[in-house]
Amino acid sequence: MAFQTEGSNLRALLVEDIKVNRMILSAMLRKFQVETTVVQNGKEAVELFLGGETFDIVLTDNLMPIMTGPEAISKIRAMGATTVMIVGVSVDAHSMEEFKDAGADLCVPKLKLEILEDILQETRSKKNKSSA
Amino acid sequence: MGYLDEQFNQLEELQDESSPNFVEEVVALFFKDSSRLLTNIEQAIDKYPQDFYRLDSLVQQLKGSGSSIGALRMKNECSVFKANCNDRNLDGCRRSLQKMKREHATLKQKLESYFQLLRQVGPRDYAVSSRK
Repeated sequence: MAFQTEGSNLRALLVEDIKVNRMILSAMLRKFQVETTVVQNGKEAVELFLGGETFDIVLTDNLMPIMTGPEAISKIRAMGATTVMIVGVSVDAHSMEEFKDAGADLCVPKLKLEILEDILQETRSKKNKSSA
Repeated sequence: MGYLDEQFNQLEELQDESSPNFVEEVVALFFKDSSRLLTNIEQAIDKYPQDFYRLDSLVQQLKGSGSSIGALRMKNECSVFKANCNDRNLDGCRRSLQKMKREHATLKQKLESYFQLLRQVGPRDYAVSSRK
């Protein structure tokens, strides 16, 4: 598989409480040369945005301690971060509506490399369009 | 039913020159975390009164990480366990826990043998079997 690296590196925020999942998802993003910040729950993600951090893409799990993925997404969108691509990961059919209502752009039940490549390509196109 | 699903192949795709032992490291982390979770689940089951919400949360974590490494049988048994939690079926939970512990031990043994075999074979010039 060829991994695209056109243009400047994307900045991703990974929101995931399970260590094993953090390790795997971080490695996937590293494969695509994505600059990744990792936090362990929704509250930490919100705090980064409150602190003025910006990201091109947020990948967030659903159920996490302190603050869930959908709760964090709602707060991030309410702050005015409307252009950042937000992807719900490990989302079952049951939770998809909650993620979409909160403001997620996409939901995936399982993140695979091929799917991530497409998502990052879409994120890159969106970023290039908005900076043109 | 096999012990691992295609998610395990995703881990192998993440292994390269910069992370030559990635799969074994992720699997080692999984067994470290999952052993701890199984102990916590056992303690939670024996507690009175039962806290099915906490039990469900612990099993959800186990399901999440098991699913990420492709541990198919463990993931399925976690779903059964969660259904028992939802029904507040303590006997069902106990049976699920025993089954999960057996699946966990079997998977650990099989993967240890697998990695031992890989070490004997040497660097990655071998064909990877799709059935594990």
